[in-house]
Amino acid sequence: MATSKKVEVLAPAGSFESLAAAIQAGADAIYFGAEQLNMRARSSTAFSTHDLEEIVTRCHAAGVKAYITLNTILYDHDMQLMRKIMDAARKQGVDAAIVSDHAALNYGKSIGMPLHISTQANISNIEAVEFFAAYADVMVLARELSVKQVAKITRQIKRKRITGPSGNLVRIEVFAHGALCMAISGKCYLSLHSHYASANRGACVQNCRRQYLVTDKEDGHEYEIDNEYIMSAKDLCTIDMLDEIIQADVSVLKIEGRGRAADYVYTVTKCYREAVQAIFSKQFTPEKITTWKQQLATVYNRGFWEGYYLGRKLGEWSTTSGSVATDRKVYLGQGNRYFPKINIAEFQLETGKLNVGDKIMIISKHQGIQTETIHELRVNGHTAKESVKGDAVSFYCTNKISKGDKLYKIIETEYA
Amino acid sequence: MPKVIQYRNKCIGCGICYELQPRLWRMSRKDGKANLVGGVNHKGVYILSSKTYQPFSDAVEQSCPVNAIKIA
Repeated sequence: MATSKKVEVLAPAGSFESLAAAIQAGADAIYFGAEQLNMRARSSTAFSTHDLEEIVTRCHAAGVKAYITLNTILYDHDMQLMRKIMDAARKQGVDAAIVSDHAALNYGKSIGMPLHISTQANISNIEAVEFFAAYADVMVLARELSVKQVAKITRQIKRKRITGPSGNLVRIEVFAHGALCMAISGKCYLSLHSHYASANRGACVQNCRRQYLVTDKEDGHEYEIDNEYIMSAKDLCTIDMLDEIIQADVSVLKIEGRGRAADYVYTVTKCYREAVQAIFSKQFTPEKITTWKQQLATVYNRGFWEGYYLGRKLGEWSTTSGSVATDRKVYLGQGNRYFPKINIAEFQLETGKLNVGDKIMIISKHQGIQTETIHELRVNGHTAKESVKGDAVSFYCTNKISKGDKLYKIIETEYA
Repeated sequence: MPKVIQYRNKCIGCGICYELQPRLWRMSRKDGKANLVGGVNHKGVYILSSKTYQPFSDAVEQSCPVNAIKIA
């Protein structure tokens, strides 16, 4: 193995639920956005600067680093907000800001905020790394580089002893898993042209994920192209080539998905954390890879491919508009209370049905994710096999639940 | 009287409303969001009832990427 240093698994936290799930799954670091200057500005669960303290406290208590994303295009009217976010992040002890705009770079440096360069900066060569080394200790490379190109960059960092502001060698981060944009490292203008919704302001409407017809301008005939979603790339999955990526001396593995649910964050983070550990303990076996791939397929995905790391020029296109996940979760209700002595959780069923034998998932803002199979069910205080909307249901739960925790039923989909 | 309504908390500060209708909008340097010129604050929702409202505002309504603007 080329390296023995720790490889950081960096998980997305688009909500407190995802934050809890990432920590629970063993993430070494998480990244999140606050206010509108991040690439998920549309998100309804967006954090504000008031949440920074809680995010940092929860992360640091668990020994997890917290990075804030401030990586949109910035306009003149954004400067004060950018400074406000950066100042708040510095004050609250956020470990680094992920930036791409030079204004954010400049300001972050001036206040001594540790910086990471976002993939939005498209770093694709060693001289760009040298340039940004005056500002940042960690750099996310462009997503279109092959693993050979990544390895060449990390080799040259060592050979040329390129150090960041901390005095340590610059560390390289790559995307390991998640949605890929059809455009170069997210620099897409499709959504802006069609809907005034700039992807570079975090407002992408994802119209590349739809089906399109091609019209013959001469006779007006319309053609569907092989029933494919010709602009919608499949999702990146590198778990079966993670050893090669780590061999390329990558220091940070980023999991995409601040717009994804907590169970997605939990499953993906856990798989990649386990895979990294397996590589270092020389137990990275084909059997384990198969198991991880099966687990990754249970949560949201558009089908997987290995991205551009193996030098492929053309992407693989998705065959559906949405996910081909093998599991789907259906919302049932919210947590009422927990009886710790007997490990019984009570939920209020707001919709649907819950029966003995069902597989369930609980998503909590505080505890993360837990899954159970219902062996015994009590409905409104009596033993029962089935329950319906309006019932108070209680069943065995290994871990504590809190009031307001969300209860879901897990159902296999047609892709299972 | 036609009304321009802005759900300001949804605004992501992309500036398209200002680009399309600079007389009706200003970009706040304080928080980077759009301000509706002459709009009255009703618990965070800004409403402008204007005799001088022009049909061109429809374009603003349709162009806001996060549906923060409505013409009623």
